Formats: sequence, structure tokens, C-alpha cells
Amino acid sequence: MIPVKHLFDEVIASLRNVIAPAIAEPYPKAQAYMAAVILEFIARQVDERVDLAEGKQRALEALFARLPSIGAVKSVSGIGAASEAHLCELIERLYADRTSLGEEVFTTANRLVRETLRQLLDQDLKVAGPAQE
Amino acid sequence: MAGERTIQEKIGDYLRTKMPGARDLTLSDWVQTAVGWSHEIYVFYANWREDGVARRQGFCLRKDPGSGLLRELSSLEEQFRVIKALENTAVPTPKAYWYEADPGLIGGPFFVMEKVEGEATNPWSRAGKQFYAEAARRGKLPMSFVEALASLHNLDWRAAGLDFIGVPGPGKDFALREIAKWEKLIAESLRKPEPVLTEVVMWLKANAPAVQRLAFVHGAYRTGNLIIKDDVITAVIDWELQVIGDPMYDVTYVLSDLNREGSPLLSCVVERDFFIEHYQRLTGLTIDFEACRYYQILYMMRTAAFWLSASGLFAEGRSKDLRLARTTYSVPVVLNMAAKALGF
Repeated sequence: MIPVKHLFDEVIASLRNVIAPAIAEPYPKAQAYMAAVILEFIARQVDERVDLAEGKQRALEALFARLPSIGAVKSVSGIGAASEAHLCELIERLYADRTSLGEEVFTTANRLVRETLRQLLDQDLKVAGPAQE
Repeated sequence: MAGERTIQEKIGDYLRTKMPGARDLTLSDWVQTAVGWSHEIYVFYANWREDGVARRQGFCLRKDPGSGLLRELSSLEEQFRVIKALENTAVPTPKAYWYEADPGLIGGPFFVMEKVEGEATNPWSRAGKQFYAEAARRGKLPMSFVEALASLHNLDWRAAGLDFIGVPGPGKDFALREIAKWEKLIAESLRKPEPVLTEVVMWLKANAPAVQRLAFVHGAYRTGNLIIKDDVITAVIDWELQVIGDPMYDVTYVLSDLNREGSPLLSCVVERDFFIEHYQRLTGLTIDFEACRYYQILYMMRTAAFWLSASGLFAEGRSKDLRLARTTYSVPVVLNMAAKALGF
């Protein structure tokens, strides 16, 4: 996702330079300019959610620790530390090695990968998913 | 800025060079109909005298803004050539007049085509849904919707000279080429690794279906991309995603829930059973629902590629349009749909 600071800057710039100047009515025009001012303050109060990245990292490390034990050593070896970039590489290797791994090992490894992907996705959906009460 | 000529004035000059027989040519009713995610679209009328007779004709101009959603995959020249090739076929399309590659004329390549009478009503608005629901009740538009799609899929695309857009090899080649195309857009747009997308792409590659019959495929056949007059489709528009490929690719798009948002009707206009019955009758094809399930996931990958490209254009500073920024939140949503379709 686009970093939150960048989004704040651009939304503020759009309010100030595009939206507010186009509004003829004085009251909504003032509201648009004031929204930009308030967003500048809010931007200083808000940080990216580190808990999401931490949750993802835990899921990745659990997967990378587990895969060698189910016979997918070849696909995991030399792939590097648990990260989303290395998970992409791992997924590609598992599909490439599918024949040599055998269908049973591939299916088990793919299931574990997909469980991890679900965990990663759920972290992103905490922001991008439907609003919760 | 004082003295700077408007795009309308520049196009007026341009038409005077293209229509030397037109006297006293002026433009009127100039409207920018869409600040497109891919193209800028302008509709206008030209008024002139020729052989002593007053004439008036509607035109539509598509311009490349230079920061379109499809980036280097989009080719206005290809679109122009496709529309030109379709002119003398059964596929309802506008007449294509002129293509200009020179970005110096109005700030980007553009082409001019006929303004087809009718409306391409947006199906996403409440008014649009009502328009299509009422048309569906009258009964003429649903059949026109199926007939226009059948005219595409029954087209002898080689005879029409459309093979220049690329012809897949036999078997799985169409799906693999389509995946490769969207992977390219993803690679150009991606700002961080997306392992869910990697899994979706690898699954798609491993499960590509064989094509039964190659056809000319629109790639985004739905209401909103069709001009309608008196409940008849007068033109299929938005020629940006067309391919020679599996007709089931279009069928999947029609069958998709993505294009009806709460309406019980496919593409907000046609009942599912009606579509299936008449599509199969008019094309002689049997709908392959297993292939449709596959293409549904391919569309999710394509949609993810669109959103990654859009949010990437914003993040790269190539666009200040907040609609593009909003798509950064759409990527996990569409990946979630793909993950659910794959069972995780």
C-alpha cells in the first residue's frame, strides 16, 4: 500500500489546490481549506501500523521454519531469511520443483504456503477490508 | 495562459487540413465525456458547408494522456486499426477516421472516430441500473447484447485483417500469453513483493486451459462499453483489451458478478439462462464452465494488475488523481477474492 504520509500529503494538496479553488460557495470552500489544515495536523499524529508488519513477519518465520521438515528442503535451501520477497521466490520454486518434490510434498507445502498467505492477506485487510464496528 | 490555443481550436485546425472540401468549418457542442483512467475522450460536432450545402457531423476523439492505466500495453494506433478493420464487418463499431502519432499536436497521440448516436449509460449508478433494468423488461436490449457478442465471436478475424494484434498458438498458449501480458504490467508497477499474487499467477500458469476455438475477443464486454439507441447496441466501444483468444474469456466477463453489482441480471441487463441459451445458439459454442472458472481467476489477476498500475502511477508521481490513489486499498480486496476462489 502507498505509505500513509504520502497519501496525507497528496490529499491535502488536492484539497488545497484542486478542490477548494473550484468551489464557488464560500462556506463549503472554507470547509475544504480547513479540512486540508486539519489533515496536516492529523498527519503528524498518525503513524503506519507496525503491528501489521509484525504479524506478517511472525507468519513468514513460522512457515520458513516448518517447510524443511515436510520434505521441501530443496525448494527452501539457500532462499534467505523469511520475508515477502523470499516467499515469492519460494512459491515459484515449489511450482518449478513440483515434479521432483512429488505431488504429496508439493500439496502439503502449497497448503502451508496458502495458510501463510491467508495470514498475510488478513493483515492487509485490517486496513483495506470493510470497515468494522 | 494568454495566447495559448485550446485543444478545441487545435482540433478545428486539424479537421480543416483533413477535410479540405469543408468550407467555414467550426466545432460545436464540445464536451470532455470522461477523464479516463486510460484515455481522455472528447465528443463534438463539426459544422461546415460543402458544395453549397450545410453539413453537420458528430466526432469522438480519444487521446493518450501519457499516464494511462495500461502504461506501455496501451496502443492508440492498435485501437484505431482494430476499429478500422471492424468497419465492414457485422460487429457494430464507429467509423474510424484519422490517427495521429505526433504528440506535439494536442499533447499526446490521438485518433478521431465517428460519434455514434446513442448512450453508453454507466451501469454502476442508481440511474444506470434503473435504465438497464427497464430496458431488460422491454426485452429488446438483452437480445441485442447477446447478438453483438456473438457477432464478435463469429467474426472471421483473419479475413478482417485482425491477425496483426497477435495470434496465439494452439492449446494453452492464449492463457499463457494473457498471463505474461499482465505479469509485465505488474512488473512495471510493483513497488513491493506481493506473494499472494505470485501464488495466483503460478496457479494460473499450472492450470491454463486449452482453447477450443480461437475468436476475436473484446476483453471487457459489458454494459458501459456499449452504445445503445432505442434498445439496440449501435456500437461496441473501448477497444483497449481485445485479443485473439478464447471466446470463453468474454463469456466469463459477462457471467461475472463483478459486472452487475447487486443486479440479478448479467451486466445489469440480461438474465443468465437467456444469455446462455441464445449465446450458444448464435455461436454454436458450448459454454465451458470449467474454463470460465479459470478465466474468472485470470480476471482477478488482471484486475490486481490494473490496481497495482493505477496506485503505482500515483505513488510514482506520474498522476495526482486521487482515484488512482484509492486503488491501493483495492489490491488486497481483489487478491482476497482470488484467494477465496482458490480455496484459501
